[in-house]
Amino acid sequence: MRRLAAAATLAVLVAATACSRGGDTPDTPGRLPDGPDVLRVLAGSEVKDLEPLLKEAAGAVGVKVALTYTGTLDGAEQVASGGADGHYDATWFSSNRYLSLIDGANAKLSTQTKVMVSPVVLGLKKTKAHALGWDTRQVTWADIAAAAKDRKFTFGMTNPASSNSGFSALVGVTAALSNAGEALDKAQIAAATPKLKQFFSAQTLTAGSSGWLADAYAKTSSVDGLINYESVLLGLQSRLKEPLTIVYPSDGVVTADYPLTLLASSAKKDLYGKLATWLRTPDVQRKIMTTTYRRPIVPEVRPDQRFGTAQLLELPFPNRRSAADELISAYLNQVRRPSRTLFVLDTSGSMRGDRIDALKQALAALTGADTSVSGQFSRFRNRETVTLLPFNSAPGTPRTFTVPERDATPVLGQIRSYGEDLDAGGGTAIYDSLRAAYELAARQGNGGDFTSIVLMTDGDNTDGASYDDFASYYATTSRNVRTFVVLFGDSDVAEMKQVAALTGGATFDARSGSLASAFKEIRGYQ
Amino acid sequence: MKRWIGVGLALLLGGAVVLALVLGNSGGSGGGGGGGTKQLTTVRGVIGSEKKPFFDDAQVQAAFAKHGLRVEVDTAGSRQIATSVDLGKYAFAFPSSVPAAEKIRQERRASRTYSPFYSPMAIATFQPIVDVLTKAGVVHDSGSGYQVLDIKKYLDLVAKGTRWDALPGNTTYRARKRVLLTTTDVRTSNSAAMYLAMTSYVANGDDVVNSSAQAATVAEKVSPLFLDQGYSESSSEAPFEDYLAMGAGKTPMVVIYEAQYASRLFAADGAIRPDMRLIYPSPTVLSKHTLVPFTDQAAEVGRLLQEDPEFARLEARYGFRTADPKVFAGLVASAKAQIPGSLVDVVEPPTYDHLERLIATIERRYLAGAKPTS
Repeated sequence: MRRLAAAATLAVLVAATACSRGGDTPDTPGRLPDGPDVLRVLAGSEVKDLEPLLKEAAGAVGVKVALTYTGTLDGAEQVASGGADGHYDATWFSSNRYLSLIDGANAKLSTQTKVMVSPVVLGLKKTKAHALGWDTRQVTWADIAAAAKDRKFTFGMTNPASSNSGFSALVGVTAALSNAGEALDKAQIAAATPKLKQFFSAQTLTAGSSGWLADAYAKTSSVDGLINYESVLLGLQSRLKEPLTIVYPSDGVVTADYPLTLLASSAKKDLYGKLATWLRTPDVQRKIMTTTYRRPIVPEVRPDQRFGTAQLLELPFPNRRSAADELISAYLNQVRRPSRTLFVLDTSGSMRGDRIDALKQALAALTGADTSVSGQFSRFRNRETVTLLPFNSAPGTPRTFTVPERDATPVLGQIRSYGEDLDAGGGTAIYDSLRAAYELAARQGNGGDFTSIVLMTDGDNTDGASYDDFASYYATTSRNVRTFVVLFGDSDVAEMKQVAALTGGATFDARSGSLASAFKEIRGYQ
Repeated sequence: MKRWIGVGLALLLGGAVVLALVLGNSGGSGGGGGGGTKQLTTVRGVIGSEKKPFFDDAQVQAAFAKHGLRVEVDTAGSRQIATSVDLGKYAFAFPSSVPAAEKIRQERRASRTYSPFYSPMAIATFQPIVDVLTKAGVVHDSGSGYQVLDIKKYLDLVAKGTRWDALPGNTTYRARKRVLLTTTDVRTSNSAAMYLAMTSYVANGDDVVNSSAQAATVAEKVSPLFLDQGYSESSSEAPFEDYLAMGAGKTPMVVIYEAQYASRLFAADGAIRPDMRLIYPSPTVLSKHTLVPFTDQAAEVGRLLQEDPEFARLEARYGFRTADPKVFAGLVASAKAQIPGSLVDVVEPPTYDHLERLIATIERRYLAGAKPTS
């Protein structure tokens, strides 16, 4: 019987959503063929590097793994709300901690199997680490915060609302800086906020996913270090001109344990069991260690010398959702350096009807209309400067809003009404308008560290400058403002990818999904 | 095409089920015997996760097969088994404690229960931690061949919010975090509930909590033991796994079932490294794994586990203590394990209702937005 089932599904390949990085789409949702030997897994993009190994699972234990990637909070909400039931058999995030804090989420989860381990630590350019003396002595998060405050180094970290490494780092840094020996609560978060502000004043690079952050870091020379999983940092070494010294803060870290988790709704318990058992066999654990730089979870396999000998103290993780959410909210609205965001929005004739309505909806969602937790964390943030630049045959008049530090509601309301008044008509002058946005960003100045542009267009360029004209212009700019392109309607995919690659941005596909979710995903990168 | 495959497989599976049912199968899903011609009766149970490796063991399955049985298990926390799990899907429940089993027995009107094995609650830790806590007067020798952690002194330490680096003479584990035993989530897991049983006994003036008034007062006293840890895992395997793989940095001391540690020693798989130590809380409680059968076949499963010497041998290999202490003692001797033959300071857990009241009070503290400073 077993042989029959295997033969019948020989045609089903390991299905993993395709994704290339750099100037490309961070995540492409894909529909996967289900089958009796296919385990459908909703995963964090952190486990993407296991794809080659997972292909071996088909031969070894007859389990084909179909991975679909999603962000931390999005994924957690999907599981907790029951949205993952029936579509997925298991989840595989770098941690289940946030998910477990959501009311009702635990009932959705069945068996959890930890597969590997990686702490969130700081990787710093070798010369910089040496200059700071961090290559030879023990360093605490407080030491790191003090150096950050004086701008002795800069670093990149993912957005804690989109990616687990950013969230874990935020928890770790806050726990260490708050000087609390127990789990964080609201009062401790409030007390630690001034120190956190100093710490994150040195953050000059952000991203919605750990992998994209690492790629962006490898391409730039202006950032000194990264806070990320040890595995990402070790894996990055071979691609860097200057290697990273890995700093293990002596006052503690937060560690990801990558639990492969069966959903209670899934009927594929046996398949799950086979995969989970296989992943924990000593051979596979060794392969995970050597190919993905994660520490093994089974005691039979010991971490090799690459992982160093420092004792890693684990910092307590919040046990209430309110504390976790408060922490993310404080980071976005008070702690991090504010961002400047320019939206270049196609309002040409082809946008008439459903498309312009979708755009209005997507903009409204970012003003707080999306009441889900992940929606609230992707809204325009306090202290953020938002410019809307609609265009058709020529760039329109840009309108800039600055969300105040306190009471964001009135300004968010203004942005929403501005969006609601958008009208469609005329041609499509993509590059004249994009150039206008770059010129505006240059005039607004401010270093440009967290300045980015969102380009949304639903068709070909019909008026004004061409892509080549724009590329020549771009070469004359300071080249530190990324353009995140939303593919929509009939946009010219190849050319849009070029724009993203040229500016160090990325493309986000809203042709099959919704415009609102593409906008929301981009927020992780801004 | 994929739908066709699904239907085909369902037909094959369906065939197996029908065949099994004809031959007297009482369980839900079919499956062939392990190579023999004899058809096995499938009995499905819901068990505490710590017994899953035992039921997954090929020798255990073969031993059941000799008696015409195939035992399939799902895992859930003992409290879940007693409260939220749909027991209608199962032929037996096998929680890890008497209070949970008693509750299930009453609700399901089961005529009897089986307690084939038990395991004392213990603490897995490391020699440097033992040294530091000995200096602090919290750990001492029991005089009976094992070391104990004095729960009363530990509670005093926690009440003062003591951190590791504030312990006098501590040069080896200079962590700024609080001195707290790692446990599982008391809202879902039995091992944490057993820890609550022993700490509530001490916090109640060395007496088992036996009134609502006591439960309310005591729960307030002991809730920081759980809440201040921060996030805790829902199953007892997880923190012990962290202990084994990540060492003292993550988990300097963790409340476990003795069986978890003993089974690793008996297996001699190298998981227990030279600086690891097993100590016992004083007082401790026994986790008495108790099977509640809902069918005759399930009663047979319980009877075999409790009375059959072959099963007793297998149970002991998983670190469980069975009715005949010689079986466990034999393994301890041959593994040269530092595990005592018997423990002196053992107390009874509260009844289900009182234990539940304690847990519910702590659960409300989790839900409250803020916690009082401890």
